[in-house]
Amino acid sequence: MKFLFSIVASSAMLLSSSVIAGSSDTKVALVPGGPHPYFAAWERAGQDAVKDFGLGKADYKVPAEWDLSQQNELIESLVGKGYNAVLVFPGDAVGTNKILGELDDAGIPTAALAGCVEQPTMAKMCFGTDTGHSAYLGTKQLIKSMGGKGKIAHFTGFLVDPNTTLRIKAVEKAVGEAGGGVEIIQVIADIDAYEPADEKINAFMAAQGGEVDGIVTTAWVPAVVASQALTNMGDKRIKMVGIDHDEVVLKAIKDGYVHGTMLQNPYGQGYIGSYVMDKIRGGCTFKSNAPWKSTAQTNQFIDSGTVFVDISDVDTYVDAMRNISLDILKTFEGDFLDC
Amino acid sequence: MNIKLTSLFKKDWFGLLIVVLISIFIIATIKPTFLSPFNLYVLMVSTSYMLIIALAQMIIIAIGQMNLSVGAIGGLVAISFSGLMEVYQISVPMAVLMGLLIGVGCGFLNGYITVKSGISAFIITLATLYIFKGINLGVTEAEPFYNIPETVKNFGNAKVGNTPIPFLIVIPIVITFLMWIFMNRTETGRHMLAYGNSIQSAELLGISSSKVVISAHVISGLLAAIAGMLVVCRLQLGTPNIGDSWLLPSFAAPVIGGAILAGGKVDVIATALGVLIVAIISQALVIFKIDPFFVQIFLGLMILLAVFVNRYREYKQEVSRKIFNIE
Amino acid sequence: MRGKKNPFPLSLWPAKNIMKTLMNKKIPNFIFTNQFGLLCLVLVFIAIFSTVTDGFTSRFNIFALSRVIAIDIMIGLAMMVVILTGGLNLALGAIGVSAAMFGGWCMEIMGIPVIPSIILTLSMGAFLGWVNGIITVKTGVHSFIVTLATMSIYFGFMTMLTEAEAFRRLPELFTDFGSAKLFNKYVSPLLLLSVATCFILFYLFRFTDIGRKLIAAGANPEAAELSGISVSTMFIHCHVLSGLLGALAAIMLTTRIGAAIPSMAGQLGMDWLLPAFLAPVIGGTLLSGGKLSVFGTMLGAVLVTLLTNGLYLLDVGEFWIRFFLGIILLFAVLLDKAREYFTLKSVIVS
Repeated sequence: MKFLFSIVASSAMLLSSSVIAGSSDTKVALVPGGPHPYFAAWERAGQDAVKDFGLGKADYKVPAEWDLSQQNELIESLVGKGYNAVLVFPGDAVGTNKILGELDDAGIPTAALAGCVEQPTMAKMCFGTDTGHSAYLGTKQLIKSMGGKGKIAHFTGFLVDPNTTLRIKAVEKAVGEAGGGVEIIQVIADIDAYEPADEKINAFMAAQGGEVDGIVTTAWVPAVVASQALTNMGDKRIKMVGIDHDEVVLKAIKDGYVHGTMLQNPYGQGYIGSYVMDKIRGGCTFKSNAPWKSTAQTNQFIDSGTVFVDISDVDTYVDAMRNISLDILKTFEGDFLDC
Repeated sequence: MNIKLTSLFKKDWFGLLIVVLISIFIIATIKPTFLSPFNLYVLMVSTSYMLIIALAQMIIIAIGQMNLSVGAIGGLVAISFSGLMEVYQISVPMAVLMGLLIGVGCGFLNGYITVKSGISAFIITLATLYIFKGINLGVTEAEPFYNIPETVKNFGNAKVGNTPIPFLIVIPIVITFLMWIFMNRTETGRHMLAYGNSIQSAELLGISSSKVVISAHVISGLLAAIAGMLVVCRLQLGTPNIGDSWLLPSFAAPVIGGAILAGGKVDVIATALGVLIVAIISQALVIFKIDPFFVQIFLGLMILLAVFVNRYREYKQEVSRKIFNIE
Repeated sequence: MRGKKNPFPLSLWPAKNIMKTLMNKKIPNFIFTNQFGLLCLVLVFIAIFSTVTDGFTSRFNIFALSRVIAIDIMIGLAMMVVILTGGLNLALGAIGVSAAMFGGWCMEIMGIPVIPSIILTLSMGAFLGWVNGIITVKTGVHSFIVTLATMSIYFGFMTMLTEAEAFRRLPELFTDFGSAKLFNKYVSPLLLLSVATCFILFYLFRFTDIGRKLIAAGANPEAAELSGISVSTMFIHCHVLSGLLGALAAIMLTTRIGAAIPSMAGQLGMDWLLPAFLAPVIGGTLLSGGKLSVFGTMLGAVLVTLLTNGLYLLDVGEFWIRFFLGIILLFAVLLDKAREYFTLKSVIVS
C-alpha cells in the first residue's frame, strides 16, 4: 500500500530529529479484534515505534477469527511469552474488561485502540476515532450533498463491534437535525465481510435502488462493496459517503461515483499508542486533569483524528492524516502525562 | 395423457417448480421491482455460485456421506487463484488450471482417506476443513489479495449482450446440465446412487467402493474450486473468508430438493430449484425489510420442513410397498 | 450414519476387575487403553513445553489454561453423550448461547438471584436439547440434519429476541466466580467443576441402570429394543443431557467473560464444534455410538488445549494453529482405527 510508505517515510524523517528515548524492555502487543484490513496499518506503526522510540518490541498479533475467546486466549499466551504492554481493539466492549483487569493485576498496562471498553475499566485510555462523531459528520456531509432532503440507507459493521451502535445512533442524530427532510429507509448491519456485504448490498440496490438518494457507510467492507456497486452500475445520482481509505473507495471518489470518505487514523493509533505504553511503563501516569473527551462509553477518550476527504483533497489525504498524528504526538506528553 | 401428468407430479422438482413460480408471482405482485432487469441480474448472480456449491454437496449426499470441507476447499482455491495471479504474475488460464487442480487434490485427499481408513466422511472432512482453512489462513494471514487482473474482474461483472443475464451464471448452468447427465445417464453416476442406496448390494454387483467414493469426492472438490473462483470474480478480490458461510446452504438446497441423507436419492433439477428458492427468499427478506436475523430462522425451518416432507413421502412409499407386497 | 458398527461386546469386564486395573494390579491391559496413551501424551507435551518455552509454567498461563480446559471439557462431554446415540449435536453452541442469554436476561432484566437463574438456564438448555431429541426420534431423521436446522432456528431466535445486545451488568457474585483463583492462584474453580462433572458422568454410565441402558441403546438399538429398553426415550435423554451440559458450559464461559454476549460461541455457535468433536473422538468415543469414554474425553480436551497453548507460545503463528488442530484430529482418528486392529477386547466405558 503506497500511502503507508509515504506516511512512514515522512513521519520517520520528521521524528528522526527528535528521537525520544524509550525503554528497550518494553514489549508491546497490538491485538485487533480479528482479521480486518483496517488494522493492517498497526503492523507498520508498531515497527516504526520500535525504531523511533527504542522499544524492545511492538508486534501486531491477530486472532484468527472475530471471536472474544480466541482474542483472550491469544492475549493470555502473549503475556506468557513475555509481552508487558497490550494495546487492544476490544472483542467486546464489556467482555474485554475482564482480561484487562487480569492484566492489570499482573502489572501490565493496557489501552483500547480504535474502539473503547465501557467504564469502569483498567485500560489507561481509549485512543481512537470518535466513531460516533465521525459517522455524524459523514452523514451531515451526505445530507449536504443531497441538497438537504431525501432518503438514505446506512450500511455498517459487525454487531459485536462496540462502535456499531454508536454509529447507528450518530447517523440517526444527524438525520434528526436535518429538519424532517431526510429519512433513513434502511439500516443493514453485520456486513463487514465481503460475501454477506456483496449479497445484501446488491439485493438492496436491486430492491430499493430507485428510491434511495444517499448512502452512508460506516464500516470498511460495506464502503468498498457499495463503492464497487455504484461504479459498476455507473450510477452518479445516488450520493455516497464512505469510510476509511481502501483504494476502491478512493478511486470511486476520483471518478465521481462517491462523494467522499471519513478517514480514520489507524497508523497514528498504533504508533502513538505504543509510545504511550512505553511512557507508562517508564513510570509516567495520566494527569488527573488531563483534557479527556467523553463518549457514550468512556470519559477517558483521546481522539486520534478524523477527516472528511472528497474529490478536491483525495490525493493529499495522506498528508492530512500525518499532520494530525504529528500534532497529537507533539503535545501528548505535556497535555496528558505526569512524568 | 393422464398417466403423464401424474408421473410429473411424482417428480421431486415439479412441486418445487410450482413453489418457485407461486412465490415469484406473489412477490412480483407486491413489489414489481422484483422483476426488474437489475433485480433479476442480482438474483442470478447470487444463485450462480450457490448452485455449484449445492451440487458439490449433493454428489456426496448421493453416496450417503457428508462433505464439511466444501467451504474450506472453496476458500483455499479462491486465495490460491488470486494469490498466484497477484504474487507470481501467473496468467489467468494457468491460475484457473491450478485452482482446479487444488480442488481436485483436496477432494482426492478426502475420498482417499475416507475409503482407506473406513472412518466416516463426516469426521474426515471435519478434520480436512480445519486443515484446508488452516493453510488458507496461514498463507494469507487473514489479508485479502486485491490485485486481480482486469479480465477477471470484468468477467465478474459482464452480462450476456443486452440482457440482464450475467456471464457468471453461464458456467453453473452448463455444470448443472453436465451433472444431470452424469447422475442419470453415466455408469459411474448410477453406481454412486447404487452405492448410496446400499453399500453391500453395490459391492455384490461388482461396483468398486473406492472408485465410487473417490470419484465423488474429487468431483465435489472440483466443484467447490469452481465456486471459489467464481466468487473471486464476483467480489473482485480474494479474501480468506470465502466459503465460511457455505455449510448451511450447501445442505439446505439438496435437502429441499428431496435428497435423502442416507444416500441413494438425489435430484439435480430439484437441487437447482432448491437453490433458487433459498435465493428468492433471501432477496425477499431484504426487499420486505424483514429483520435480517429472521433469515437464519427461516433457513432452519425450511430445512426441517423439507425433511418432514421427504420423510412423509418415504413413509407413504413404504406403506404402499407393503400393501401391494412389492418387496 | 453409514459405516461399521461396533458389535455388541460380549466381553464385559465386571466392575471389580476395572477397579483392580486402576489400582495397577493388571498393568499390561491398562497400558493398552486409549486413556493411558492420552495420559502419556499429555505428560510428554507438558514436559516438552515447560522446557522449550518460557512462560508455559507461569502462574498466569496455567491459570488461563485451567479455565479454557474446564470449558472445553464440558463442551466435549456435551457432545459425547449425543455421539453415544450414534448421532451428532451441531446445535450445541447455539443451545449454549441461547441458554446463557436467557440466564443473563433473568439475572439482569428480571432481577432473579444467581442460583435460581442458573437453574433456569440449565432448564432452558435441557429443553432445547429435548426439542432436538423429540424431532430426531419422532421423524426418524438423522440428528445431523435436525441439529443443523435447529442450530439456525435457536440462534436466529436468540439474536432476534436479544437484538444482538449483550447483558453486561450481571451480579458480581456470578462474575467473580470466573476470576476466582485457588491453590495459590494456579487453578480456576471452573476446572474443579468440570472434573467433578466427569466423575458424576462416569458413575452414571458405569454403575447405574439408566447409564447402562443409554449405552445399550446406542450400541445396538434393535437388540436393546428387543430386551425391553425404549430406545427412543433413551435417545431423548441423551439429547436433554447434551443440552444441559451445553448450558453449563455456556454458564462457565459467561462467568469467565463477565458478560453474556451473543457471540460467545461464534456465528450460529459453530466455534464450539472443533473442541466438541476433538475431545471425545481423541478420547476414544466411537462415532457409530455405543462406546464412550468420559475420562478419555477429559484427557482429549486437556491435550488439545495444551497443544494449542504450546503452539502459541512456540511462535508457530496464530494462523497455523487451525491447520495443526485439523492434522491432530486426523491423526487421532486414524490412530484409533489402527488400534482397533490390535486390541481384541474392548472396554465399553472407562
